[in-house]
Amino acid sequence: MKRIIYPIFALLMVFSVSDAQSQCNPEEHTNTCIPKLSTGFNFLKSYKVDGQGGNKDKVEYSYVFTKGTQYMINVCGPGGNTDGIVINLYDSQRNKVGTSLHDGQALAAFVYPCSTTGIYYIAYTFDGSTSYCGGSALGFKR
Amino acid sequence: MLVVSCGPKKPSEDEFLKSLEAIDQNSEPSVDLEMINAILQQIPSPIEISMMLKESGTNYDVSILNSADNLPKYNTNYQKALNLGIYGTDLGYTNIYEQNQDGLGYMSAIKELADGLSIGQFFDIETIGRLASNSQNLDSLLLITTQNFNNINSYLQSQGRSNLSVYLLIGGWLEAMHVTCQVAAKVPDNQEMKDAIGEQKVVTESLKLLMDLYAEDPTMATLGNSLKPLWAEYDKVTITIEKGEPTYEVVDGVMFVNDNNKSIITITPEITNNITNIITEIRGQIIG
Repeated sequence: MKRIIYPIFALLMVFSVSDAQSQCNPEEHTNTCIPKLSTGFNFLKSYKVDGQGGNKDKVEYSYVFTKGTQYMINVCGPGGNTDGIVINLYDSQRNKVGTSLHDGQALAAFVYPCSTTGIYYIAYTFDGSTSYCGGSALGFKR
Repeated sequence: MLVVSCGPKKPSEDEFLKSLEAIDQNSEPSVDLEMINAILQQIPSPIEISMMLKESGTNYDVSILNSADNLPKYNTNYQKALNLGIYGTDLGYTNIYEQNQDGLGYMSAIKELADGLSIGQFFDIETIGRLASNSQNLDSLLLITTQNFNNINSYLQSQGRSNLSVYLLIGGWLEAMHVTCQVAAKVPDNQEMKDAIGEQKVVTESLKLLMDLYAEDPTMATLGNSLKPLWAEYDKVTITIEKGEPTYEVVDGVMFVNDNNKSIITITPEITNNITNIITEIRGQIIG
């Protein structure tokens, strides 16, 4: 009987460990990120960044930015750091406006004073991420 | 109710009003929910406009808002959803200007409309009331209202009533536009106000796309028809971009990017006037 039970038990353990590794709880990270928006920035949106354990190389959202408004986007991963999650901003023509990747390091926040009202694409990519899981917040100030 | 006639191919008011009574059937045509969610998420919060109005030094004016006393007029789900969006914008406006007494009336109206749409469980009116009583709590209020909208949207979609999310959003946007147009009319030489109206061209394009996704929904189609004159006016607005040389700097671990672009919004006084009149007319039909 033991001969049957042990392999099944071992198999279940493998599944549960791999399941835990691929599980991502972005809300936990967005909740960390929202209060980290700098003073003066009002919260607008929170975004889930779930790279599905590396199966997705990009997670993208869009938002209409308004001329004359400053926007801050931050990102939080496990352990309170970015875990290699990079913020990339593109304008409505898909031209890259900027990135939080600086000298090979994914910075925790990105500020953009908008000069042209339009749809902007916020794309999160992964640079050496281990969890592929995080959260992000978007704030604004006039 | 102020009704101003303008714009081509305007649907008759009778047709519009008939549609108000037809929505209570939950018949959701097949819609691309992923696309709808993407568009719903990209529409800017009306609170950004309220903040801009306050920062530009314009005074609070309760008379331009939809009175909470109009609540008993809203009986169909269509009316309730659109006016819930409208009252949401009005509540944000009162909060930005710290007009708590007016805000209380809107909170009560919001709760009643939400209950009427069977989404009252998403409104913790006590918490929202506490947060809305102090403009310093704007962050928390925005967090709760944003999360609310996301939860409501998911819930309505799971029930095959995603069109109500769209009405909520359109109601909120129309009210923000109405407030902007009314304030702008008082300061006709204010360039920031003119730009604020003109740059909404970007949002109208998203809204058009959103409504097109519900082309099979007769009530949405009627609302879409009533908005066509507005879209036509916005077709005349031009936004020109002069590209600059981008610069960036890192300060305290934060990347600051400046694209140094300039945008020039061209909108004539006539177009502004037409947009204002059309918004007044459509909103008048909605608020009753």
